Amino acid sequence: MSLIEQTQPAESQIPTVSHHGEIPSGQPICEITIDGKVVTAVVGESILRAAQRAGFNVPTLCDDEKLAPAAACRMCLVEIEGYDRPMPSCHLPAEAGMKVTATSNGLFDMRKQNLEYILSDHNAYCMPPCQIGCPTHIDIPGYLELMAKGQHVEAARLVKEVLPFPYALGLVCPAPCQEVCRRGLVEEEIAIRQCHGYGGELSLEMDVAPTPFPQEATTGKRVAVIGAGPAGLTCAYYAALKGHAVTVFDMMEKQGGMLRYGIPEYRLPKVKLDKELNSVWQLRDAEFKGGMKLGRDFTIDDLFAQGYDAIFLGIGAWTSNALRIPGEDLPGVIEAISYLRQNASGDPVPVGQGNKVVVLGGGFTTFDCARSSRRLGADVTVVYRRGRKEMGAHYTEVDDAEHEGITLEFFAAPVRIVEKNGRAGGVEFQRMALGERDASGRQRPVPVEGSEFIIECDTVIPAIGQSPVLDWMETTPGVRKTRRETIVASGALMTDRPGVFAGGDAQMGPVTVIQCVAQGKLAAKAMDRYLAGDDMSIVAEELRAEEEVPELIDIVPYKPEEPQVRMPFLPFADRVKSFELIEKGYDKAAAEKEAARCLQCVCPDVGQCDLQRLSLEHGLTENKFHRGEPVEYHDYEYDFSHDFILRDLNKCINCTQCVRICRDVIGANCYGLMGSGYDSIVTTPWNVSLSYTDCVSCGACAETCPTGALMMRERDLQTYELDVVRCIYCGDCVEVCPHGALGETPNFELSTYQRFGVTVLAKEELAAARTWKPSEHIPLAADSQRDAIRPPEIRPPGPPRWNA
Amino acid sequence: MPTSTPYRILDTPITAAHERDRARAMGPEQLIALIEASGLRGRGGGGFPLARKLATARAAAGGGSSYVVANAYDADPGSPLSRTILLARPDLVIEGLAIAASAIGATSGYIYLHPEAAAARASVERALASARSSLGDLVVEIALGPGGFMGGEESALLAVLESRRAMARQRPPYPATQGLLLRPTVISSAETLAALPLIVRDGAEAFRRVGTAATPGTKLVSVTGAVGSPGVYEVAFGVTVGEILEHAGGSPAATMKGLHIGGPTGGILNATRTGVVFDYETLKAAGTHLGSAQIRVIGPDVCIVNEAAHLFDYLAKETCGICVPCRVGTKRVEGILEGIYSDLGRADDLPWLGELADHLDRFSLCGFGITSASILRTTMSEFAGDYASHITDHRCPTGTCAPARSRRYETMAQP
Repeated sequence: MSLIEQTQPAESQIPTVSHHGEIPSGQPICEITIDGKVVTAVVGESILRAAQRAGFNVPTLCDDEKLAPAAACRMCLVEIEGYDRPMPSCHLPAEAGMKVTATSNGLFDMRKQNLEYILSDHNAYCMPPCQIGCPTHIDIPGYLELMAKGQHVEAARLVKEVLPFPYALGLVCPAPCQEVCRRGLVEEEIAIRQCHGYGGELSLEMDVAPTPFPQEATTGKRVAVIGAGPAGLTCAYYAALKGHAVTVFDMMEKQGGMLRYGIPEYRLPKVKLDKELNSVWQLRDAEFKGGMKLGRDFTIDDLFAQGYDAIFLGIGAWTSNALRIPGEDLPGVIEAISYLRQNASGDPVPVGQGNKVVVLGGGFTTFDCARSSRRLGADVTVVYRRGRKEMGAHYTEVDDAEHEGITLEFFAAPVRIVEKNGRAGGVEFQRMALGERDASGRQRPVPVEGSEFIIECDTVIPAIGQSPVLDWMETTPGVRKTRRETIVASGALMTDRPGVFAGGDAQMGPVTVIQCVAQGKLAAKAMDRYLAGDDMSIVAEELRAEEEVPELIDIVPYKPEEPQVRMPFLPFADRVKSFELIEKGYDKAAAEKEAARCLQCVCPDVGQCDLQRLSLEHGLTENKFHRGEPVEYHDYEYDFSHDFILRDLNKCINCTQCVRICRDVIGANCYGLMGSGYDSIVTTPWNVSLSYTDCVSCGACAETCPTGALMMRERDLQTYELDVVRCIYCGDCVEVCPHGALGETPNFELSTYQRFGVTVLAKEELAAARTWKPSEHIPLAADSQRDAIRPPEIRPPGPPRWNA
Repeated sequence: MPTSTPYRILDTPITAAHERDRARAMGPEQLIALIEASGLRGRGGGGFPLARKLATARAAAGGGSSYVVANAYDADPGSPLSRTILLARPDLVIEGLAIAASAIGATSGYIYLHPEAAAARASVERALASARSSLGDLVVEIALGPGGFMGGEESALLAVLESRRAMARQRPPYPATQGLLLRPTVISSAETLAALPLIVRDGAEAFRRVGTAATPGTKLVSVTGAVGSPGVYEVAFGVTVGEILEHAGGSPAATMKGLHIGGPTGGILNATRTGVVFDYETLKAAGTHLGSAQIRVIGPDVCIVNEAAHLFDYLAKETCGICVPCRVGTKRVEGILEGIYSDLGRADDLPWLGELADHLDRFSLCGFGITSASILRTTMSEFAGDYASHITDHRCPTGTCAPARSRRYETMAQP
């Protein structure tokens, strides 16, 4: 059938088969070619429908098989031989012999441009930035909402889905989530870290720590985790929850890794840390073996020989990087990591009252060393070769250090350690200035000639970075290291040796605790898939896809200002010579008050949203249309006035699915396009509340909406009982049901069939009734009475202009 | 009767009603063959052969109901061509419509007007009142559009006649197959229909004596801007743009910077290109289109970047809003152009605009978005200096641009 001959109106094309179903026999069919593959289509059905049935993923945002095509979203455009431009496949009927290109780089780019346009006017929250910012992607709005309601254990469970140690991280995490918190655009960010710290602290007081989900049945697989630090224990925790038997080995006697041996007591009390880490050993088949060092006490081969099915290497980064300047080997130059370890284990340390200490560097370890030394009574200077802004340590660490009486010296690089009486007596520095940016975007410091100066001291602690100890590699075939002395692992965190995974500092180089936890979580996931026998390249791809996020323009809705609830902390004066914990922790009221400040800036449609899915599929992680004038983005009021349907026009993409379903399927006709030009938007007439329209609350619009613009209000479902004694079989309930569900089944007492018996239209009458083929013109009453259908001369008054 | 002088629609003496009766007597097949032989093409901008439209509609109607619509809407405010005809010769349009109706067997016709065209409406109402008795069973009515640019687009016009918002509809199916109330409908500009009585009277040969072989006949053009006497002129197809400008009082080369041809979605050609032949194909090859047949002469004190931005500003207000490339695209392109003339442009804005022009062209639903790409393409190729001046020298080439915005579009990724 050619287009010219086609008399079936496009707007009333009814799909003959669903894209899930088979083509019923007797349908006129034809063959078309899509991307070189021959596809069977029903004559007259849309190309899109045929493509979907054949398994092609043609993107679309405005198509619903119940509805006439609109060709509005322009996502399903395909190239068809004989047409000079791409045509919407939802709108064009399939014809025998059509040659369709549904997938090509050109179409992909055009569709991506389309999505970028849509998102540039999609003034709405999608994923909350905190959740994206956190390497573990905690459901932060979720647990803050639970906390605000006082459900703290549930909140802890939610956190523990991705972060097993909320108390420890509540104290030591640099909180990347807070840096991007949208509440910061209102006044101050939410104290996200402190809030989960409270939930974590609360669960420490329980006999058995809450778990995110019940431990799964024993799988019979055995997992060895080497390294009881944040990465290793996280991996162990989730592997054990998956039902695997887990043994954690560590070279130190006690658990915790850098959490215990690196981070000083004043930031993280070890008694409480142990309590929290013990939640791992509360799981079935999880055990800890301390004092076992890889390479010294056992090898990877030994573990496989002992029957372990998978191994995770979370061995951390335990050697300090060398300064590579003269005098480095003098007595009085201390290695940062062993200094912190001695301090944490209670061993004697080479720093005390009256010492003059110079700490070199600007990271977390630098300040741990400096502030510990200060607490031991020393006079401390921290020297860094760049400025305060460039420091790797969190700004609160730097500020606190300054308040505790530590001298900070910026833009100075050590040249040599000055010898005095056979030991370190000072450090000679050269002034630095910031030069060009390096690959990481940080400005590279360049020396200033002739600016040398000396700071006198008796102890020097270089803390300019750490590396993993990889001496065991010589005895371990199949595991490689990078030039940066880290373990090589794939996207699924597996090393070149099957079954051996690696993560944390040992794989990434020294990073924050939360990044290690995130890797531990991913490694446990990958390991579980490996033990199930899955293809690791697919797993790597899935892990990568999970980490991607779409980019959206967003505006913060107005909220009354409410400053952050301040964390009570140890006064600066009390900190000298005291390793007492600085952050005192929130109480219940404070935690709930702070949690309630969260804007809950997350779209409830995340995960179901077609726009989000297509954006991810098209790799749209950034948008070029940011920072235009405010009038170029729409900011509509919400309509939450309806009892069942929530409307947020900011998320509307003008696909007109709701217009068509409400008009053509339901018959209520509540929606239409309003406004003009760029300000066109689908809404109710004159944008009144949905309650004032003929809405029958059927929810079909919310169901078909491809984004979160129309959502069903969450409500408690109730069961209604029918009082059959009082029912008079009026059938009104059947008549008003917008889906016609009540009338269609002969099994339902009130159905038309049951109420009126067979008298409505007998089979014989149906057989005798005049019918028309789809290709035939059904005579309208209008054809004989032309005047009756005459269009009016003057259009009814137009809708008011938007923002007029 | 062949005449020795090339006739013009506007001032040829003719009794149109008489020609309508002759056309009716001819019978549809012969009439369509005559129109085909004349080579009459749609004057609304598309240039589609009218005879093919009529034949398609006639076949699709199959004896059932069908409609003829004379599009006298004049969507482009700067090009009141239909109004000119309706004021001077409303009978030609009415009888042309009647001839087209007889070709497809339609008994309903509409003359579709802009709501503000009061004088034209009065004129056609008068003519209709006197013609009505002789039209037989053909009922011709006047329908008013909603105002605005989009109301003149043929599929939006159908929506308006069906009492809906002026929204474009995806084609195919074309209105000739499936138009008003889903019945075959011939939509033709008033100017095209006005040529029909002349063709019926003089025959195809005579009609072909003016114009080019591909496009016979004459065309009304609207000359506006920096010329001696702006106005509507009737010219033969095949003359050059320069000749048209001379008709309109001429414009010294020194006072011309650009030629904006084809209405709001048309491209802007350099003023040196007065040699471009006025015809569908040649204008298209030059990067613009015949469109509303407006030739607007842009003076030397106009910055073309600013001009393009204002055109897109107009388009973003007028788009019907159904398809993404046109609704959002025109607005965003306007934003980029504003950024450039506010001296916030970057060199990579130009390839970016090129991509967006391709997207508008390839992915838009109707001619509105498709043709608007020509504004970007022509201004960037013919007035590269104006863009370069703003982008590299941060200076307006004419010193007339006031910054419209304080910041440009930036790429941002969510953290």
